[in-house]
Formats: sequence, structure tokens, C-alpha cells
Amino acid sequence: MKELLKTLVEISAPSGYESQVRNQIQEWIRPLVDEMRVDALGNLLAVHRQADAPRIMLVAHMDEIGLMITHVDRQGFARFVSLGGVMPIHCVGGRVRFLNGVQGVIGVEKNPASYEIPPLEKMFIDVGASSAEDCPIRIGDVAVFERPFLDLGKRVVAKAMDDRVGVAVLIETLRRLEKSAFEIYFVFSVQEEVGVRGATVAAFGVEPHLGLAIDVTATGDTPKGHRMEVQLGKGPAIKIRDAGMLADPRLIQWMVQTAEKAKIPYQREILEFGGTDARAIQLSRSGVPAGVISIPCRYVHAPSEMVDMEDVENAVKLLGRLLQTPSPLELSS
Amino acid sequence: MKTSDLSNLLRKLTTPPGLSGYEDTIAREVESLWKPLVDELSRNRLGSVLGFRQGSGEPPRPRLMMVAHQDAIGLMVSGIKEGFLRLTEIGGVDHRILPGQLVQIHGKRTLPAVVVQPPPFLLPPEAQEGSVPLNYLWADTGLEEKEVRRWVQIGAPVSFARNFLELGSDLVCSPSLDNRASLCALTLCLQELQGRKHAWDVWAVSSTQEEETLGGAATSAFQIRPDLAVVIDVTHGSGPGSPSHKSYPLGRGITLGWGATVHPKLYETFKELAEKMEIPYRMEAMPRYSGTDADRLQTVAEGIPTMVISIPLRYMHTPVEIVSKKDVQRTARLLAEFATTLEIDFMDKIQWDETPKA
Repeated sequence: MKELLKTLVEISAPSGYESQVRNQIQEWIRPLVDEMRVDALGNLLAVHRQADAPRIMLVAHMDEIGLMITHVDRQGFARFVSLGGVMPIHCVGGRVRFLNGVQGVIGVEKNPASYEIPPLEKMFIDVGASSAEDCPIRIGDVAVFERPFLDLGKRVVAKAMDDRVGVAVLIETLRRLEKSAFEIYFVFSVQEEVGVRGATVAAFGVEPHLGLAIDVTATGDTPKGHRMEVQLGKGPAIKIRDAGMLADPRLIQWMVQTAEKAKIPYQREILEFGGTDARAIQLSRSGVPAGVISIPCRYVHAPSEMVDMEDVENAVKLLGRLLQTPSPLELSS
Repeated sequence: MKTSDLSNLLRKLTTPPGLSGYEDTIAREVESLWKPLVDELSRNRLGSVLGFRQGSGEPPRPRLMMVAHQDAIGLMVSGIKEGFLRLTEIGGVDHRILPGQLVQIHGKRTLPAVVVQPPPFLLPPEAQEGSVPLNYLWADTGLEEKEVRRWVQIGAPVSFARNFLELGSDLVCSPSLDNRASLCALTLCLQELQGRKHAWDVWAVSSTQEEETLGGAATSAFQIRPDLAVVIDVTHGSGPGSPSHKSYPLGRGITLGWGATVHPKLYETFKELAEKMEIPYRMEAMPRYSGTDADRLQTVAEGIPTMVISIPLRYMHTPVEIVSKKDVQRTARLLAEFATTLEIDFMDKIQWDETPKA
């Protein structure tokens, strides 16, 4: 699965520009599903049919956070804004790659108070150009952080782990899938990082009876980090709540019981910020019970996000088990 | 209704904790109260309670949806350390009043506990002055760590201890009067509708998760597809030092919302009705958002003309919320009168025209 994950995180696909990663996923899963389509916003929807079974929507988002160019000055320096939740603290000195392959570094204006974190407005991208004319980028071009995949053994580090690790979990689940208690819609969503837009329309279109998002969550196991119980390597996290939603208690119970029965380690997650595609599912149409399986991830939204491969493996196991376990809900259509 | 009966109803509706997302207790209470008052009763997938009363007009009848949220704010266990419980919030809680509060931890067992703060010298300098932020507060159940872990899991809801008080002849004080006071008004309205005719179909909705996502009313509206909707919620009551342009005195009437969320013709209709019934009201300006279920409800499906009615309430999002029974009754009367006087072709006569009538 490491190879799968490595290939996924090395693709550039910021919010709204997901086609490269979508093409790759399509190629992989085409032989594994009964039907596949791309909707109006670019979500990839793949169906695993199961007659007379309730419909479950599983979603992982394809997009990653990135940058967009707003201005190129006469000297060829490019100003930018964030696409999704890019934090200034991670920018200065960072390297970026544009969709057309151009690379550059992030510089910053002279900073009188060097201990303060400058806002993005004070930063620029230098692609090595000497004038606007020979600058190979234009207003509206988008870039992602450039970082090689780092294999630390049990743990791996990369940009875009949020949420390519979720994408990897879905693909691996699909590869191992035998029988299912559900008709499954595997949704690879767009534009999660700019307000769960892809999942909003996908959920409306799929009209599922229940839904699960597979996404990353923060951890509380780093020096003076978030005050949070989730740790790396202690199993996938079953979300209780985040800033965007309260997960459906019936689904929480279903996940907890399934994990305990299968002896899969899990953690109960409370995230006091952030949100996932599950919120969009929950609020879709007349309401859909929704939950989240989270992959614990250190340094979320930094260009070096770390996950533990055992957590990833256990997330695949848990999801596989869940798909064989009828949900506790009465789900007549 | 006698004022003592009204107190009892308010007490009944404020007894179940029913924190957002964990609303079975309040939903059941609503179901038992509404059962005799409606033709059909159901609970939908996210947990909102829907009561349906068939109208007397010729089908296809237009649909009126009246909605008050059932969920309450509170706390949630986010961590366990040495037997003490870390807390996060459900909905928005006024942190300043938390230390010293009596709470109930709804784990595998319901346990009493108190919210405590560390002494100032144990806090970082920035938290030593003023009120202590929630992330430094703890709940103390008095139990040993082993016992705590046996009964309490991360994610257990934590509610304020129930403490219903009657203050003077007209005011009541309790946790969760936001929005059980409105739920009470909606229940009284359904009682008033007994034996009265209404041409429209009437849907009463006790909505879920307003304090978190405004999700219950919007999803219910998608299901019902009402022709119009009335949201009943609470607004800031005047209290010590509260600015008069942002708060409304208790017992002196309700507020009618005005702003982008509210359909101007509905405002006008309610205003005229209130004047006719001699129900005191004030216009409450809601220029951008109403801060109620209406904000999401208005844009459901093809769009729903929406009205917001509010009951003034003091000390919002604390365990000592206070409302006036008179205001609750006024809200109920106004709602019932609106429902019964809605003409079958009302929708043909309204369009969005914000020009005030001369």
C-alpha cells in the first residue's frame, strides 16, 4: 500500500484542479467496479452494485491545499493567495510546483520583526525569472508544495497526505472487497479544502442511506501540540465530532462494535477544529446519517504530513469489516 | 392555559438534556406531547420530530411549516486524565460561567460532577487574569480513574444539572430555555389549533442540531417542501447593562425578524396580525443572518419564504436562561392565528417586495 500512497501523494491536484489524480484513480479502479462516472463538478463516482441492499456513500477527497497566482510584477516575482487552508508558518523557504511543471521558491519581504510570522501578502514566489516577460507563470496559475515522499519505515511523510491517504484506503478497500452488505458508491471528491463542495453535490446525486468520509485527523501526541487524545499508531479514529459536525451516534456505535468484534484497534476522536465531507453528506437532502473514519496524521496542512502505515492498514480492515456488517439503521428506501 | 400549567409544560420540556446530536430524550417528550394534537407523527433520519395536521382546504393544499429547535447546548468529554475529565462544547457555551457549575456526565451511566478550574498559579500567565478558558477547565466526578474510565467514554455528552426555577409571577429560569421556550410555544399553538379549522396543511417541526449545523430544520424542509416556513427561536433579552438596540425587555412582547432572511410580505402579515390581536412586538433587525434555523432553511430546494419570531431571553447559552411565560403564550397565540387565517391562495398574493406599506 505504501507504493499506492507514494504514487498518489506525488500527483499535483489542488482544489479545482483534480484531473491528474482523478485520471490515475480511474485507471486503477476501472476493472474493479460495475459503473463509473465523473459528475458536473469533477467528482469521480464508482459503483459497486449489490441488489436490494442499502446504499452507502464512501468518500475521500482528491484535492490538496495549494496556491494561486494573483499578480506577476515587472521583475517576474509572483504574488499568491492560498487555495484552501495553507498556513503562512509553513510557507517561507518552501518550494512549489505549478501544474505545468514549473518550480519555484517562496520568498518574503524584509521582515522588521523577524520573530513574527508574516502573512501570505508579504510573500512571493520566485521561479528564477528576471522579468515579467520571461516569467513562465501567469495570473491564475496554481501550484502545490513540492516535497519528496519520505519513507521512515512504519511511518511515512508527504505533502497531500490529506487526503490521498483516504483515497488510498478506498482503493485498497475496493481491491480487497469480496461480498458486501451494501450497494457501495465510492466517491472521490473535489474541492473539499475550499468548503466540501464536491461532496455536497455528490451526496445530492447519490442520495445515500448512509455515508462515511475517510479523511485525516490531527493528533495530540507531539510536544506541546493540540490538546487532543488521538495518537499516531493507535489505530484509525472513529470521529465523535469536529467543528463541522456531530457524527451520528448510531454509526459511531456500529463502528466501535465492529472494530471491537474484529479486534481492530481504534480511537475515539474529538477534533475541535476542521471538518470533512461527512458534513455535506449529513446535511444533504432530507438528512443522511453520516460518520467518519479518520487516519491520524501529524502536521496536517503542513507540506510534510505524517501517517503511520499500521493505522492505514487498520482503517482498510475496519472499512472492509463494516461493509460486511449490516448497519444498525433501518434503511428502507 | 393556566399559568401554573404553563410552568409545568416548560418544566417538562426543559427536563430532558437533549444536547445537539443526542436528542432522543427531548424528541420522546415532544412526541408524547404532540401525539394527541396531530394527525401524523414521525421522526426523520437525523432525528427531527415532524407533526402533521391536515388542512381543510381542497387538495392540493399548500403546506405551512412551523419549526422550533429541540436541541440544547452543553459540553462533551474530550479527554480523561488522572480521573478528571477534559471538556469541549456542544453548541456555543458562555465559558465565563462554567467554573462551579453542577453537571451530569452522560456516559454508560449518568454521573453527577462539578466543573472546576485549577488555582491561578497553576495556569499559564495569559490565563491567570479574567475568566479561565474552557481548555483549562475540568469536570470532577469524585471517582477514581479506574471507575471513571469504566463509565465515561470520550465523547460522552455533559449537560447542566436541571434546576427549574419560577422567578416572581411571570418569569422562569432553567438551562435550555433556548429553545425549549419556543418548543413550548409551538406545543401551545398545536393545542390552540384543536377544534379550529385551517385551510393549509400544518407541519410542526421540532428540529435537531440547530446549535451545531442548523441542519435539522433545513433537512426537514427538504422532506416536507413547505410553501412557507416560520422559525421560532429566542433572542437576547434586556438585562443588566445590555444595550437597548441589541436586546428586548422580557414580558413586553415578542420580536418579529426583519432582514434578508425574512420574507417582507410575511413580516407584514405577522405585524398586522399582532396589531389586530394587540400582541406587543418589536421589529428585530437581522441584516445578514438571523442566527436561527431560518438562515439555512430559506435556501432549501427552490427557496422557502421564511419568517422569524423570537422570544426575548436573558443570559443566553448559560444554565440560568430566563424567559417570560407571557411572551411564550403570545407567541403561541400569534402562530395559531396565523395558521388559521392563512387563505388558500395566500401564495399567489405574495411576492418579495420590501417597500414598507404606507
